[in-house]
Amino acid sequence: MALSGVYAVASKDIVFESFDGEAVVLDLSNGKYFGFSDSGSKVWQALSSGVGTEALILSAEGAAMVGADALETFVARLVELGLLAPSSATPLPSPDDLPAALAAASEPLDVSVHDDLADLITVDPIHEVEEPLGWPAVKQVP
Amino acid sequence: MRLSVIMPVHNRETYVRAALRSLLRQRAAADLDIIVIDDGSTDGSAQAVRAMMDEAPCIRLFQQENMGVTGARNSGLKRLEPETELVSFLDSDDISPAGRFAADLDFFRRDPSLELTYSRMMLVDRIDEETLEPTPDSNSITVRGIHLTAAIFSRRLVDRIGGFDEDFVQAEDTDFLLRGFEIGPRYVLPDTLALYYRRHAGNMTRLEDVQSREFMRAIYKSMKRRRANPSLRPIDGIFELKKLADWRFM
Repeated sequence: MALSGVYAVASKDIVFESFDGEAVVLDLSNGKYFGFSDSGSKVWQALSSGVGTEALILSAEGAAMVGADALETFVARLVELGLLAPSSATPLPSPDDLPAALAAASEPLDVSVHDDLADLITVDPIHEVEEPLGWPAVKQVP
Repeated sequence: MRLSVIMPVHNRETYVRAALRSLLRQRAAADLDIIVIDDGSTDGSAQAVRAMMDEAPCIRLFQQENMGVTGARNSGLKRLEPETELVSFLDSDDISPAGRFAADLDFFRRDPSLELTYSRMMLVDRIDEETLEPTPDSNSITVRGIHLTAAIFSRRLVDRIGGFDEDFVQAEDTDFLLRGFEIGPRYVLPDTLALYYRRHAGNMTRLEDVQSREFMRAIYKSMKRRRANPSLRPIDGIFELKKLADWRFM
């Protein structure tokens, strides 16, 4: 799969946070959650914030763990998992500290998928609340 | 069996009497020890608790400056005495149903190696303040949710889990339960109704950004622990919450 120029988070059901530089992503539609290797966290943070793939590849030139082929495979995996989708937005440049962060990564690009907390995640407690419904406002699991 | 129930209180004057009464009505089922941590209330919560202590010496009240719920729960754990065999929690605005302890303590009596019962909870919008039961016209739904009061822990398991993680300003209960299940305790999932969980204007009706972030932090920490220690267990098949999709009335 050729890389699109820029990606965006695939839907409103995909929510994410970063703790100690590590990303965690939840898919509220099916309750799956996702963890990343250190390099994967950096790449997720860049792509999900609209950094273009060309800029990302340039930023990864000095990074042993993030080759162009591996990046393409990784992005395809994120698209396949429904976390990212190609976007028509204007690509953003890489943050200044991204090359150093990628170079410092010690693990290959990787995303792990977990579904043991699906019941909890699909109902509790991330969803935006529509005022008339109050909480918990629950999305039906398909 | 000595059962200690930890109840943090912060400005819940209106509800704390009912919460305590719901425990005291079960004194026949257990050697009950109620540890109330008044976390810097500025209303009459402490007085309300103290007024019940003459009649109920099993209530122990400790007052502290406001630390937040995580610190208050840890203060409760520090007040456990050596005699305590079982530990549970009740928030000061919830109700422990009649018969709750009798039902689940029976599992511990029959299996001395049991470390945890994890029962069901009812979300309910109206409770009769005399009977402490849902009113006939109340709306309710019963799930196996994520709530400390659903659990009765053996003392040994509480010691294995350790205290509440004070990094959390919220979701400390989620984190505690996830840590508890990860270490693979011997548990049962009874159909006992372990609490009536009031849905009212005063408790968390809206989720702020910080709550979402704290919940995600609990999941992140669980994932990280299990990555670092493959002997920890995934948390499959504990929570049954899908019926909450029907909760549409508040």
